Amino acid sequence: MSDYTIERVKTGIPGLDELIEGGFPKGDTILIAGKAGTGKSILATQFIYKGVTEYNEPGVFVTLEESPILIKRNMLRFGMDLEKLEKEGKISIVDLSPSKEATPATIGEYPSFDLSGLQAIIMNHIKKINATRVVLDTLSIMAYKFRSRDILREEFFRLAANITRTGCTLLITSEIPAQETGLGVFDIEAFLASGVIVLYNEKISDTSRSRSIEVLKLRGSKHSSRIHSMRITDEGIRVWPGEISPGS
Amino acid sequence: MKTEPTESEADDSNMIEVVFFKSDSCAFCPRAEEVIRETINDFGLDTFKLVIINVSENPEAAEEYGIFALPTVMIGGVSITGIPEPEMLMKMVLGAKVMTKKKGES
Repeated sequence: MSDYTIERVKTGIPGLDELIEGGFPKGDTILIAGKAGTGKSILATQFIYKGVTEYNEPGVFVTLEESPILIKRNMLRFGMDLEKLEKEGKISIVDLSPSKEATPATIGEYPSFDLSGLQAIIMNHIKKINATRVVLDTLSIMAYKFRSRDILREEFFRLAANITRTGCTLLITSEIPAQETGLGVFDIEAFLASGVIVLYNEKISDTSRSRSIEVLKLRGSKHSSRIHSMRITDEGIRVWPGEISPGS
Repeated sequence: MKTEPTESEADDSNMIEVVFFKSDSCAFCPRAEEVIRETINDFGLDTFKLVIINVSENPEAAEEYGIFALPTVMIGGVSITGIPEPEMLMKMVLGAKVMTKKKGES
């Protein structure tokens, strides 16, 4: 084994770094997959927020689903004031949610397009605040915006490669449809990322559910192969590395 | 909104605005622009105001309108993505004309 060590980006999620050799490999694409309500967006937002407050690393949060107003409101209950960081120029929240009024209604799509628009928007924000962390929340929404899945698949690879080429670590969230066992709606999610984290909120009895987290893969890292307990606390997501989920 | 020079700088209050989003790296954009220009020419240039937005130079405009995919053409609040068929553009133009007429009557 060589002594070469991969530069790590600390996640800001208490307990998670212990499972992944100290953080995500810098410049990698990491997929955060899970069914609805498992905490994907909270984890991704916490990664951006703590990136600034604990490690002084500016971040870009691209929302394709929830409006920035709701994201800011929801994160305030964990004591995370995104508005303040935005005003200080430490983070950018890029609103590409369906709630935008100026967005024209798409009435047609021909299979001859690329995602260079989305790329230009994200790159502009990375440059503006010298970001080193980028979140795209959520990839799954693209399946409903565009019909041409083959183009999207190819374009996701290009987009992720161009973002990470700048040195940014990219987190992409993916919603696993209720009855499915894969990692998302595109079937390529696992290939797209060099790391995959799966979140669960499984029913363990008639009256309770249990949250847990699994590091499914993380290239270049010796990671835990267990499913660990995770909770959404008053301060955001926390992982218990020494605690194995009761559901696993 | 920063844009490239338009086809007409004359009084354009009654003209239909055709907004074309493109980028430097988009391989399909030149052909899409050709189709749009040809269709506009068929209708008559004095009916349209063509606004070309190069997203590579003006990413803020793409963000403002939530345009991810290129080429995209927007006419009267609706858009199509990819190299458009002239028939589809015609439909959009006719739809925009009806809207403009309704606005003028109200």
